[in-house]
Amino acid sequence: MPKYAMVIDQRRCVACMACVVACKNENEVPPEQYRTRVLEMVEGEFPLLRMELRSELCNHCDNPPCVYNCPTGASYKRKEDGIVLLRKNRCVGCKACVAACPYSARYINHEKGFADKCTFCDHRLKEGKEPACVATCIGKSRIFGDMDDPKSPVRLALKGADATVLLEGAGTKPRVFYIKKFSKPE
Amino acid sequence: MELTVTGVNALTSPHLHIWDWRVSLYLFLGGLSAGLAVMTTVLHLRQGGKLVKDEAAGYIAPILVPVILGIGMLFIFLDLERKLNVFWFYLTFQPLSPMSWGSWGLLVFFPVSGLFALATLPDDMLHWLLLEPLKQLALRMREYLFPLAAANFAMGIFIGIYTGVLLSSFVARPLWNSAVLPVLFLTSAMSVGAALMIMIARTNKVKLFFTKIDIWMICGEMVILPLFFYGQYTSSGAHRDSILPFFSLSSEYFSYGCSMLVLFIIFPIALVLKMLEIKEEHGHTLTPMALAKMNLSAGIVLMGGLIIRLTFVYAGQLSKLS
Amino acid sequence: MKLSRRTFLKTSGIATAGIAAATAGPEKFLLWAEEAGLIQATYVPTFCEICFWKCGAIAKVLNGRVVKLDGNPVHGNSRGKLCARGNGGIGLLYDKDRLKTPLINVGKRGEGKYRKATWDEALGVVAEKMKGIREQYGPEAMAIFTHGAPTDHFLPLLSAYGTPNVGMPSFAQCRGPRDVGYELTFGEGPGSPERVDLVNSKVMVLIGSHLGENMHNSQVQDFAEAIGRGSKLIVVDPRYSIAAGKAEQWLPIRPATDLALLLAWINIIITEGLYDRAYLDQYAEGFAELAREVSHCTPEWAAKETDLPAAQIVETARMMGHNAPAVTIHPGRHATWYGDDVQRSRAMAILTALLGSWGRSGGMFFATKASLPKGESKPFPEPTKASLNGGGYPFAGAEGVTQAIRTATITGAPYPLKGWFVSGTNLMKSLPNQQETVDAIAKLDLLVVVDVMPMDLTMMADVILPECTYLERHDALAIGKGKSLSVSLRQPVIKPLYDSQPGWWIAKELAKKLDLGEYFPWNSYEEKIKAQCKTGGISYDDLKKLGCLTIPDTSAPYITPENQPTFKTESGKIQLYSKELKEKGFDPVPVYVRHPLPPEGFFRLTYGRSSVHTFSRTTNNPALNELYKENEVWINANKAKALGFSSGDYAVLVNQDGAKSNRIRVKATQRIREDMVYMVHGWGSLGKELSRSGRKGADDQGLITKYAVDPIAGSTGMRVNFVKLQKEG
Ligand SMILES: Nc1nc2c(c(=O)[nH]1)N[C@H]1C(S)=C(S)[C@@H](COP(=O)(O)OP(=O)(O)OC[C@H]3O[C@@H](n4cnc5c(=O)[nH]c(N)nc54)[C@H](O)[C@@H]3O)O[C@H]1N2
Ligand SMILES: Nc1nc2c(c(=O)[nH]1)N[C@H]1C(S)=C(S)[C@@H](COP(=O)(O)OP(=O)(O)OC[C@H]3O[C@@H](n4cnc5c(=O)[nH]c(N)nc54)[C@H](O)[C@@H]3O)O[C@H]1N2
Ligand code: SF4
Ligand code: SF4
Ligand code: SF4
Ligand code: SF4
Ligand code: SF4
Ligand SMILES: [Mo]
Repeated sequence: MPKYAMVIDQRRCVACMACVVACKNENEVPPEQYRTRVLEMVEGEFPLLRMELRSELCNHCDNPPCVYNCPTGASYKRKEDGIVLLRKNRCVGCKACVAACPYSARYINHEKGFADKCTFCDHRLKEGKEPACVATCIGKSRIFGDMDDPKSPVRLALKGADATVLLEGAGTKPRVFYIKKFSKPE
Repeated sequence: MELTVTGVNALTSPHLHIWDWRVSLYLFLGGLSAGLAVMTTVLHLRQGGKLVKDEAAGYIAPILVPVILGIGMLFIFLDLERKLNVFWFYLTFQPLSPMSWGSWGLLVFFPVSGLFALATLPDDMLHWLLLEPLKQLALRMREYLFPLAAANFAMGIFIGIYTGVLLSSFVARPLWNSAVLPVLFLTSAMSVGAALMIMIARTNKVKLFFTKIDIWMICGEMVILPLFFYGQYTSSGAHRDSILPFFSLSSEYFSYGCSMLVLFIIFPIALVLKMLEIKEEHGHTLTPMALAKMNLSAGIVLMGGLIIRLTFVYAGQLSKLS
Repeated sequence: MKLSRRTFLKTSGIATAGIAAATAGPEKFLLWAEEAGLIQATYVPTFCEICFWKCGAIAKVLNGRVVKLDGNPVHGNSRGKLCARGNGGIGLLYDKDRLKTPLINVGKRGEGKYRKATWDEALGVVAEKMKGIREQYGPEAMAIFTHGAPTDHFLPLLSAYGTPNVGMPSFAQCRGPRDVGYELTFGEGPGSPERVDLVNSKVMVLIGSHLGENMHNSQVQDFAEAIGRGSKLIVVDPRYSIAAGKAEQWLPIRPATDLALLLAWINIIITEGLYDRAYLDQYAEGFAELAREVSHCTPEWAAKETDLPAAQIVETARMMGHNAPAVTIHPGRHATWYGDDVQRSRAMAILTALLGSWGRSGGMFFATKASLPKGESKPFPEPTKASLNGGGYPFAGAEGVTQAIRTATITGAPYPLKGWFVSGTNLMKSLPNQQETVDAIAKLDLLVVVDVMPMDLTMMADVILPECTYLERHDALAIGKGKSLSVSLRQPVIKPLYDSQPGWWIAKELAKKLDLGEYFPWNSYEEKIKAQCKTGGISYDDLKKLGCLTIPDTSAPYITPENQPTFKTESGKIQLYSKELKEKGFDPVPVYVRHPLPPEGFFRLTYGRSSVHTFSRTTNNPALNELYKENEVWINANKAKALGFSSGDYAVLVNQDGAKSNRIRVKATQRIREDMVYMVHGWGSLGKELSRSGRKGADDQGLITKYAVDPIAGSTGMRVNFVKLQKEG
């Protein structure tokens, strides 16, 4: 069974926000809510500046506190491929999972009341398509695939790269990996 | 650093906005009923049951336990975004979810505390039970007073801790994520339980007895609260940052800073009042003045307990890992 | 019609695993119903019109509703991807504020009082007035302003009517001076899409081009790819743009001094012998004159002008020289900055030539020579009066000098202009000095606007003709000339909503009423396209199915011994020294002239793009508005502090002539020089009809009361205004 993961090559992100819009359309995310976002971080003083661009989404943690904290079993990590998903019809909207996620990856769908978040576009995977944000990523900054397949794009992207995860100390074991490099000058 | 984020959910950014006073009240009332349950058990078991003699609190407090619990649960229910799905709490058990433990725990707590209330109902009050089968049940339960008391005690402790564990299990929220928090909440639960007991109790003896207990509990809180802050301060940066709101009077955190000030003022006041109460020579019946002071100090304790729940629920949502 | 789906995860086996749908709920009824096989999604290929890059898109339609737009993988401009704006195209389609029916003005012009009308009536009114103008003043008294796809329908209509007067903002407010500068040097412009070979470059040089914010899809894909492949980036921008954030060398230049930097670069490359001698010997002329003319442009001299370290100027010149010819000097696109824009573009072209990058891998490549003939059409009548397009500027392009037509309308000289036909351009936003636009419109007998949204100009029209959006219509085939020839089809994805109509239909019906029906001899536009395909020898059926056909051809993008370049200049060689310019009295080699700097207390007003918006046209689009709801004025954080502003505060901008902006939020940032402010163009629309963007943010155009006309091309430099910040109220 595949072990899905995403690699975000921050060097290639151009802050175009295509991913953000595509995700919303693909997943009918309500207005003013998002499953993914893009951060622009600038440090320094003119003219010695450096910039980091980072897109964020659910990390599909291998040690997912959102799942652990869900009282109804609505949130779960699918055994087959490790995607963290939600059975909406079970969700009571208690928001425990929202509080539990260290990555602010979840929201309560304000039209329907259930918790929601990135699904790695599970429904597209079934059709053999890439997640919507990956498919439209202008910079090819978002890379998706199966960690168990040495030829998958994620494995190729990680090869030799100095990849990190967000909030490693939280012990969540994310499946979204970041390759970052600050632009010059230091 | 200049940060621009495209795609923010106001619900989670810049900090959580998910739980409000409803959850605080739930935690408070849950704690109160737990504390009261423990205290009623103590009342019944202490001195071989001598304390309960002529003491209406002996049967009123046990009744209040499920009532307060019910009101508390109403508030958490009000907080659910999909109320029609509430039955899902009880179609599953999630061993890793404190909330699941809590929902089942509360479900067990109800009958236990209810049966205990029945068992403690004296003969001349049996007419409160309008239905004959209930009366029979109450009579039957008297035989199990001891095990029921033990169960009630255990459930009280469990729920008291649970209200803290519910928050402390969130690794993502440094303010909550402390092993001290459940202890603090438990102690506070016992303290407000004792305080309510003081208010309900009719007899001098019982009032003073629970005043003594409350003194211990308040002392406990006054040790644990600083310990909690100390623990946070010496822990990771995020933990340290998380307590900042309580020690700042800037406009942003004004209410938190004030709350802490209030706590640090009212707890000692309550303590002093209570010390005076037990030192004082009391006649067989309390003077109205002494009664008022007792109720005042108990009221302060209840208020303190509520403030703790409110501020911790809100301030915890300001804290995050970084 | 169903497209075969791309499968990328074949190895994983999940494509066929068929894990039970766990997440279906009533809210996702459509998708669920689709999964359950109750309804079938259809996929219709077309191309995007949210900007002018014309990316191939595939619309997913469920039950008559467009639910998703994806990039068309076989389309070269999108390669399976759409930018944020293209992804948000559905937002335009379902924007409740769209124009829904023809409207006829019933109040004073500009008052915004309209009554609904039938198409027959509205077109009748327009035809009547146009006939009247033709009778009284002659057909030349009508002018057409147009931009984008509607041009293909209304330009023929107005040409048939008999006027030569056409203005598109894409020339005098956009690419005009750049194209002229490159034409004067190489005999042709850099093209659109620009023929930049970024992917193969070793060094990329962006001079003001803020790729990333400027979101021309495939170009930005190439840009990111090049970065991924390790191409080194030099960015010249007074603002720390997204691109600057990726740069190895960021040159925060003093605005308006780019020409000094370019001349210094040219000088360094010449004096250090970093130019491609063989290439120049073979293809260029005027090297000696060039060398002489720039010899005084030392790094130290340029450093003073540009406020950049001399060492950095030298270092960057060497970076280019050492990596030549695989150096892409991006020619830029919106080039109308300071009024000497042709010369600045020329300097960029000259630099490109010195590095031998024109026609070389990693520099600029050549376009395919193949083409698809347009369909036959009845020849248009010969106008009897001279066209005003050129505005008297010797190198003005065919797209016309918009503001010259506007001036002629105001003055009535050399002859009266009494009617404007406007399609697909919001002149209130695109032309500098709005007062002149208002004054000109006051002189008109007729202002017709064909638009999709109630934008500022729309709401000044006498008659508003609501076009349906690009997702609801056919348009002319898009012919792309990159490394190969591509033909793309725009076709309706769903039927037009409301009482809107496709541009071709409006043009044809109006033509009938003007007795010009013979210019539109086909019954439907599809019929016309089919005929064009037939003559061009391509299969319409394939085109309809795939959305885009790339015609394999002998295209030879780079210079080889067999593929020798031709330069359509007077001498057939690259003009390092332009005799053409000299003949017309201009500098044959660009000469740097210092521009006025902002006076004390003022900042230079500059503007640019947001990655999620296109000018004013997307500001009200719900899907995009959500991401950026109003523009902000960027100001250096130190300056902001001194003026008492913090980020998020509202300010009002006042320019040197006292023009005042709507209130705008301050973005106090280290990312910008202290002598300028910056904002995203397109905001501050007046219309209350725009429920989201009306009165939100400030309009840069409202502050651009002054503009510097390039004497060579007639384009309008728009970064010559100075503003100060005031507190709101
Ligand atoms: N998202 C999005 N993308 C678009 C468009 C859109 O509307 N939205 N429009 C498209 C069109 S038609 C065009 S023409 C292009 C325009 O895109 P570009 O050609 O890239 O635009 P410019 O206006 O030349 O560049 C704006 C940049 O110039 C910088 N700048 C300001 N003054 C100076 C100066 O004096 N010197 C230098 N070196 N830099 C300066 C600004 O800081 C800003 O970063 O964008 C295209 N792409
Ligand atoms: N101050 C300032 N001025 C500028 C610029 C700047 O950056 N700053 N940029 C300049 C540049 S580079 C350019 S290219 C021009 C762009 O100038 P314009 O092309 O005029 O740009 P927009 O403001 O987007 O106006 C487009 C109009 O077309 C309408 N429209 C959109 N789609 C359709 C359609 O399918 N059919 C019809 N009939 N109408 C449609 C929109 O509703 C809107 O009214 O502006 C130039 N002017
Ligand atoms: S990122 Fe958050 S929501 Fe996603 S799996 Fe991890 S904890 Fe859960
Ligand atoms: S909101 Fe829903 S998914 Fe989240 S913890 Fe509660 S029941 Fe589980
Ligand atoms: S994988 Fe799908 S759901 Fe997740 S962020 Fe990307 S588009 Fe959104
Ligand atoms: S689509 Fe890709 S390049 Fe664009 S913002 Fe998202 S991650 Fe970055
Ligand atoms: S660049 Fe974006 S907006 Fe422009 S045509 Fe392509 S997808 Fe549409
Ligand atoms: Mo443009």
